[in-house]
Amino acid sequence: MTDPSYVEPDPFTLEIIRDGLQAASDEMFIALGRAAQGIVIYECLDYCVGIADASGRMVVQGNGVPLFIGTLESAVREVIDKFGNERDMEPGDIFAMNDPYCGGGTHTPDVCLVMPVFADDELIAFTANKGHWSELGGKVPGTIAADSTEVFQEGLQIPIVKLFCRGEPVQAILDLLAVNVRLPRQTLGDMWASVAAARIGERRIRELYSKYGHAAWRQAVDGLLNYAESMSLAALSHLPKGTFEAEDWIDDDGITDDPIPVRCKVTISDKEFVADYTGTNGVVAGPFNTGRAGLESGVKLAFKALTDPASPANHGAFRPLRIVCPPDTVLSARRPAATGKYHQAVLFATEVIWKALAPHCPKRLPAGHLAAVCGTTLIGRDPASGNVTLLQQPLVGGWGATADRDGENGQFCAADGETFNIPIEVQENKFGILVEQYAFHDDDGGAGKRRGGKGVVLDYRVVDERIHFSGDYGRHKFRPWGIAGGGPGTASLAQIARVDGSTEARQRAVSVPVNRGERIRLVTPTGGGYGDPRSRPRQQVLEDLKNGYITREQARRDYGVEVEE
Amino acid sequence: MRLATDVGGTFTDLVAIDDRAGSTGVPLAAKCHSTPPDFERGVEDVLTKADIDLGATAFFAHGSTVIINAITERKGARTGLITTRGFRDVLEIGRGNRPDLYNLMYAKPKPLVPRFLRQEITERVSYEGEILVPLAHDELPEIIATFREESVKAIAVSLLHAYAEPAHEIAVCNAVRELWPDVSVIPSHALTREWREYERTSTAVLAAYTHPVANRYLDALDHALGSRGFSGHAYVMQSNGGIAALETAKDQPITMLESGPAGGVLGAVAIGRLIGESNLITLDVGGTTAKCALIQDARIPITTDYAIERTRVSAGYPLKLPAIDIVEIGSGGGSVAWLDEGGKLRVGPKSAGASPGPAAYGRGGNRPTITDAHLLTGRIDSGYFLGGEITPDMDNVTRVFQDLSVKLGTAYPETARGILRLANANMTNALKLVSVNRGHDPREFTLIAFGGGGAMHAVALARDLHIPKVVIPLRPAVFSAWGILNCDMRRDYVRTRPLRLDAAHLSEIAAVFDDLEHGAREDFAADGVPLDRLHIERFADMRYDGQEHAVKVTFPAGPVDGAALRRARQEFHAEHERAFTFWLDAGVITVNFHVAAHGTVNETGIPGLGPSDGSLSDAIRDTRTVDFDLDGQLETRIYERTLLGAGAGIPGPAIIEESDTTIVLPPGSRATVDRYGLLHIDVDGMDSRFKT
Repeated sequence: MTDPSYVEPDPFTLEIIRDGLQAASDEMFIALGRAAQGIVIYECLDYCVGIADASGRMVVQGNGVPLFIGTLESAVREVIDKFGNERDMEPGDIFAMNDPYCGGGTHTPDVCLVMPVFADDELIAFTANKGHWSELGGKVPGTIAADSTEVFQEGLQIPIVKLFCRGEPVQAILDLLAVNVRLPRQTLGDMWASVAAARIGERRIRELYSKYGHAAWRQAVDGLLNYAESMSLAALSHLPKGTFEAEDWIDDDGITDDPIPVRCKVTISDKEFVADYTGTNGVVAGPFNTGRAGLESGVKLAFKALTDPASPANHGAFRPLRIVCPPDTVLSARRPAATGKYHQAVLFATEVIWKALAPHCPKRLPAGHLAAVCGTTLIGRDPASGNVTLLQQPLVGGWGATADRDGENGQFCAADGETFNIPIEVQENKFGILVEQYAFHDDDGGAGKRRGGKGVVLDYRVVDERIHFSGDYGRHKFRPWGIAGGGPGTASLAQIARVDGSTEARQRAVSVPVNRGERIRLVTPTGGGYGDPRSRPRQQVLEDLKNGYITREQARRDYGVEVEE
Repeated sequence: MRLATDVGGTFTDLVAIDDRAGSTGVPLAAKCHSTPPDFERGVEDVLTKADIDLGATAFFAHGSTVIINAITERKGARTGLITTRGFRDVLEIGRGNRPDLYNLMYAKPKPLVPRFLRQEITERVSYEGEILVPLAHDELPEIIATFREESVKAIAVSLLHAYAEPAHEIAVCNAVRELWPDVSVIPSHALTREWREYERTSTAVLAAYTHPVANRYLDALDHALGSRGFSGHAYVMQSNGGIAALETAKDQPITMLESGPAGGVLGAVAIGRLIGESNLITLDVGGTTAKCALIQDARIPITTDYAIERTRVSAGYPLKLPAIDIVEIGSGGGSVAWLDEGGKLRVGPKSAGASPGPAAYGRGGNRPTITDAHLLTGRIDSGYFLGGEITPDMDNVTRVFQDLSVKLGTAYPETARGILRLANANMTNALKLVSVNRGHDPREFTLIAFGGGGAMHAVALARDLHIPKVVIPLRPAVFSAWGILNCDMRRDYVRTRPLRLDAAHLSEIAAVFDDLEHGAREDFAADGVPLDRLHIERFADMRYDGQEHAVKVTFPAGPVDGAALRRARQEFHAEHERAFTFWLDAGVITVNFHVAAHGTVNETGIPGLGPSDGSLSDAIRDTRTVDFDLDGQLETRIYERTLLGAGAGIPGPAIIEESDTTIVLPPGSRATVDRYGLLHIDVDGMDSRFKT
């Protein structure tokens, strides 16, 4: 039946709504980052925001990190499943969740908020966001330990609960949060920032909707999804067709020394992209598992990179994508598997598709990169106030070379994205440490006609009496892979130099005490090379030498270029 | 006499106002070609052309594209960088971010200083400004020797925590000047006293990279003015929307980075004030680029989060200096049409500039430009090209269009229309970046179009974006220069000093403001600005205890006492709630102290315009066929703008010409002349705001 008052919205209006949605998403993103108290949010941008339609399809999503692409849609869907039918959703309500195995869950510190948007009592959309809040309790400060073996050690679990009811906070939940976390002021500060993002998005959507009306809204949303789908399909037609396979290994699970194989078989046709992870290792004892949402994020990142990185990453873009993975693998863990370091599993879900297709898609994919977040947590004291502070940050490293240029030096891994390192001047101001160097290293690796990008070395000298160091540094055993004769990159290292002159390697560190005057050295991988190093033009080798990107010995041995002292 | 010149990529413009008693106050304008890389010659040319008596000129203000030009074309000086030992790679690592999230082939912006020219020196300052490791003076001679050997022309110095204690940066600079007096040396703390080492280093590097070019230029300009008998006050337009004395600008020429666009935006605000429009989108189409800005509530849009060449998919080069917030794209009159590898027609960003210029100049331009397309479609009168100064080489224009059309398989008039459509699409996207993409509905704005080409595209773009009204100022081609005449002097002083906003820190807070304001008064006194003409605004970047990012809040004027702190705190809570929907009952920290000092030097009015003596038909110069694309080829009346009086109404299709601009009124639009001579164009002939 046709509504007689129905007027076909003009294309210009549709475009304004689409741009308005993008602007709302940008605004939510900025608000969350700027209002937050946790350094992982405001510097590392470890969060995302999005807008879904009333049926839960993601229409726009703004990501600080690709780790979250696969998460918000299932969060909204599960809110609808749990609260939609009972009509137990009202204007001003906000739902919260962090369960790692459902609701788009990743690991416990990532808390997701979903807010329904109403216009005249009709549900028209949802705003959602998910961010790595400062602290959620658990066995160690910062919640995540590299040796957790079940989720109960990983802090407070939040099933889908109502955090705000008709615009007012549910005090019982806030109280529960406050007593279960070590830094309640910060955690609640992050909560308020997330609430701000949800509400700002809600406000903007209502404005758009009331200005342009239901029909235009619907059409704009459908148009956005269909556009992204058509871009994916168009790109799919240019990809090589057939089946491609690869295998790679996560170093270990933090409990035993055993490598963890991850396998993928990718099948590409004109209409579909299937990623099949059958044959991947089962759930591991340590926290290097991910639930299904993490797996989805990993696959979606590889899919976007291969198809069309520029078009919107919404529901429509992923229609041609299918993911096959049996339950209870390291990529499809269920309760009570520990998932604290889920990002390592997500990265390897991306990594095996990347490795399988890189030789066939030289314009889309470089050689292997650091493939690790290299997350560090330092627990110390604020020099000014004496309060406990938490420095948490990922570390940049080398990316693989591409067919026509050297790899990028010192950049965050693929699972990170619009992630910013914490300025040294800010770190020293807040955390009782002195940074002695932050520079590229020249460890052997990454040789090629195109050279792998450089990893970095970061030295912390402890100036306070004692701090506690936690972290995990991936690819400390299995180095980034090269392509077409390019050499592998270098391995990561985390090393503590004690005052007595001894050193200890700590690639999986859990609350290791480090005393005044001692040094923590963190070294990230250099990326893989592309092509035979002996075919690198001599002039470029000489320039590398002049710039100190390679040593004289490497020039001679890897590139066959002899240089006099 | 008061005078402003504005140097763009293609043209150099001049506007002068005779403010002596008895003068009409009607601005005098002139335009010449820019003369890259020696831009000062263009200024001399335009002074000669306008026949200005510099001896009778009291005020000279100048905007210039020379710096941005040096950066975008990577023609800055060979630059060296001196950093704290262990940190030379900070510039190349940057923040490590990848804005193009799903693109695994992302390439970071290439650092402007290669690794071998980034030298480290032993020294260390703590975050509290304490010297931990004394400066190793003895390491400098070798660093300088390396730089000399590598033909370095400028040196940036960026040491850790120099925002808190600049002693080592100062010592390095002094030593460098002693060892090598003729090299440019720029310490980071002199540009910004904010923490975050990468951004401060990037700022210092950009400043050093452009310093020799800019200084050579400013010296040459200074000399040229002097030799013409100028003895008044000379000023330079800055990115922050204010002007600075030319002598001051020589210390920090990087602050004049966005000076030209700033003039246009200030002019637009002034026009808006005059006609009661506070929501404006500006469109400035010059020879090389198109620039847009959005003005809401008559506020000049200033950003402190500025980065050169930053886009949604590129991190760009941060520059921590306050700048007018504009979007600029490579689409101007000289933009060249070309075919990409796939055989698709593209327009810009490469420009034929002033040399060889468009094909119509007949100076070797062998590819079609936007200007040539306007000539072919009859929008620009071939008999009145550049105000009749140049006879266009139409044979050459036809030839280059035929060449391109053969490759495209189209007829050449269709090629000309296609080029204009593409140029319009590019400019529409730029306008969207400042409006819809930031959540503004263009229907609520007025488009003010200027620059040599703005008025040719404005109505078509307004229609694309559903902007109901377009305003064309008088002499739009030199409007940015006119805008510069409307500027006050401005300096910004920002210092990072995290302090809790409470009674216990009252005296420290007062002392910081006092120090900044004392500096402002001294700097302006040195420029000869009397105290009664100095206006000081206080701001503070505040945050809740535990947050990182701060909110900029106006800090009360007057004594810094308990009452002022209370008002500042209330202001912050309110501003925080407005921005983030909530406020917290928590401690408030003031991170950055910011003083903006304005010295009033100008009061420019616009003389009124009476009704015309003759009838409207007297203003018709000609009739010719003009190609209006989808609206067809129409017999079109050509009006002379200077003959239009107040109240005149002109229906489209029409062309209104003035000496260096053509205003295109497509069918369905309608223009009215107001009492200042401004043209108000009702884009669809149905805007309720038009009373005629």
